[in-house]
Amino acid sequence: MEKLRNQNRKKIILSLRWTVIIVTSYLILLDKGSITEVGSYCYLFVVAYILTNVVLTFLPGAWFSNLKLFYFLSLFDIGFVSLGMYLSQMVTTTDFYLVFFLIIILASISRNYKLLVVISGIIALIYGYLLYLWGLLGSESGVGYALRIPFIFIMSCFYGYIVQTFLKEKKRQFAVSEGKFRALFEHSYEGIIILKDSEFKISHLNREAERLTAHRRGDLVQRTVFDLFRPWERDKALHFLEEVAQKGGGRTDSLPLMRKDGTPVEVDLSIKRIDLGEETYFQVIFRDLTSLRILEKKIRENKRNLEAILDGIQDRISLVSPDYQILRVNKAVIEKHNSGYKELVGKKCFEAYYQRSLPCEKCPLTVTLQTRQASSSILRVPGLSATEQIFSYPISNEEGNMISIIIHYRDITQEQQLQEQLIRSEKLAGLGILTSGISHEINNPLSGVIGMAEIGLEEDDPFQIQGYFKDILNCGQRIQEITKGLSSYSKTAKTNEQTLVDIQEALESSLKMAQMSVKNRWVEVVKTFQPVQRIEADLGEIQLVFNHLITNAFQAIRGDRGRIILSISSSKDSVQVKVGDNGIGIPSKHLKKIFDPFFTTKTVGEGKGLGLNIAYRIITKYEGTIDVESDEGSGTTFSVEFPVRRGQE
Amino acid sequence: MRQRILIVEDEEVIRKFSRVQLTKAGYEVFEAEDGEKAILQLGQHRFDLIICDIVMPNKDGWELMKEIKTSPKTRDVPIIVLTAKNRDSDMFKAYDLGAAYYIPKPFTKAQLFYGIDQIFGEHREPQNDIDISNQYDGADESVNEGKP
Repeated sequence: MEKLRNQNRKKIILSLRWTVIIVTSYLILLDKGSITEVGSYCYLFVVAYILTNVVLTFLPGAWFSNLKLFYFLSLFDIGFVSLGMYLSQMVTTTDFYLVFFLIIILASISRNYKLLVVISGIIALIYGYLLYLWGLLGSESGVGYALRIPFIFIMSCFYGYIVQTFLKEKKRQFAVSEGKFRALFEHSYEGIIILKDSEFKISHLNREAERLTAHRRGDLVQRTVFDLFRPWERDKALHFLEEVAQKGGGRTDSLPLMRKDGTPVEVDLSIKRIDLGEETYFQVIFRDLTSLRILEKKIRENKRNLEAILDGIQDRISLVSPDYQILRVNKAVIEKHNSGYKELVGKKCFEAYYQRSLPCEKCPLTVTLQTRQASSSILRVPGLSATEQIFSYPISNEEGNMISIIIHYRDITQEQQLQEQLIRSEKLAGLGILTSGISHEINNPLSGVIGMAEIGLEEDDPFQIQGYFKDILNCGQRIQEITKGLSSYSKTAKTNEQTLVDIQEALESSLKMAQMSVKNRWVEVVKTFQPVQRIEADLGEIQLVFNHLITNAFQAIRGDRGRIILSISSSKDSVQVKVGDNGIGIPSKHLKKIFDPFFTTKTVGEGKGLGLNIAYRIITKYEGTIDVESDEGSGTTFSVEFPVRRGQE
Repeated sequence: MRQRILIVEDEEVIRKFSRVQLTKAGYEVFEAEDGEKAILQLGQHRFDLIICDIVMPNKDGWELMKEIKTSPKTRDVPIIVLTAKNRDSDMFKAYDLGAAYYIPKPFTKAQLFYGIDQIFGEHREPQNDIDISNQYDGADESVNEGKP
């Protein structure tokens, strides 16, 4: 900027002086004929005057901002033009114009109005003296010449005033616009340093640059920018700047600056080359990245922690996109599939894990994609005898859109085998309880058969004997019912066949079985059964569930006002069974634990705490649900829901 | 005076043939279908023997026995336990609660009468000749004697 202004000032001064030189020379040479004896001086004067301006042309622009040069030129021109006027002699009209030109020069180039007034006064006096020397003041038109002296003074003052006013306005406008840009520069949130020339000296810096580097402005200006970098990073900084200097344009790099106390401050440097005329500037903009770096570090740490956690988990975990593409896997996945991380990432999960061309049936991910909820399902791995439980959890971005899904695979083959064993042993245990219950049930009618036969043998009245036979028949039929039930029961205890189970039949037989083993078998049982679809299941397992629920209901009842409500109903795709009682209820603190294994409130020998847990396991195996509602003191209702698959029945 | 027997049994068939057999044998037979009804009968009449089932609605045999044995009026009445719960533990429990005899179901007429004879063989004295206070005094002794 400064340089540009100096250049302009130089141009103005040179062109004005050229004008003065040309006019002066012309006027002097015009009178050449009348002053032949000193004609050689006139030529010398013109040449000398031209030469002065030629010399000025070669002076550096910066010199023209120097006031001393300006004053020197002013005095020099006053002297030279006065000399010119002296040489031109007696040419009365010419000298007046010369003086007037001189005034214009002074007014144009002057910056100081008071000085102009003084100089104008001196010129007016010199002019008056010249007029006196030439004897013009004493001539007939002496008054006319004398008037020229104040005229010159007033004109130069007036002209100077106009020029000054004009310049001031210009300057003011310039100051306003410069102030605006300076404010923008100063108050930028980014640190800005302006470097000058190929030495990369700091010429300007803003407030933020001061703050970030902790240097004072005055300390930095005129120093090279490299003082702002740590010694071992200066080459790098130089390399950046040189590249920008050579290729132009700009670049952004991350390189810490050094504060005054030697500590580094993390910044992003944007370096740009700016060419202004012949001058080259470099604009270095930087932003404080310390907090950003800390954040980045935390993010990296968190990422590492998460990876460590994921890899530490023995179950397989994958992150997949909503189009089944694997985004990330943990170590367990890599080990299981004997593959590399890069080979797995990017593939579809069903291709990579199960060699399928379509998503797996019953895939929980498909459910999660539709419902945006976590889901889980149990899959038998095609081709292998393994069983997996697969969980899927959606991950949403801040806008709530699902961006990825975590899939968690658990190999539950062993667990399932153990569970099957547990259920089987529980079925056998149930059979044991049943056998003792049954012997009781059979012994009563059996006593009837024996007793009735005995009295029949001693009776003569055929009518009475007929009545005894009826009783014997009844008892026999009751025994038949029981043994029939027992045989079907013992069968289901041993096999694991999946058949279409009639829920009502299963519930009724479970009720009978439960009644045989409980003390208060006479409790009223209310049944509200709706016809429902059959479900595909192992009858023995379903009976086991019902038996546990009904037995619990009987056991919960105290006193003789007990009532058990059994209901069966259905909805579109499920069958609901409710087993309710008006017994003692379950304390709310126990409600959460009742499905836990070995949780029992019964005394040792009365219960193992496995009944409800086994019921829960069986129900979840059939993808059903079990819920409980209970009020302490007023009763408990268990609701079991089994899904009915379409295409069944 | 005929000896009075109370049959407490929820199974109607058993009550029926027992009544026929015992009536023929010369006993006066009363019936109750559960423990509570038995208590009512015991409040109204005096009995020489109670034949009691265990598994019954409302009040089962165990509770009934406890009540009989804790009431001064009835503690000396011998009890024959008649039950389909024929595990050894049930038999021991029956004798612990003061049963005089235990008959597992199913049973024959012979088993029943053998049991009754066991009782009345030891309790030959007609009960109605003993006044309340005497019955009261000898209560513990007789119960202990009843034990095997």
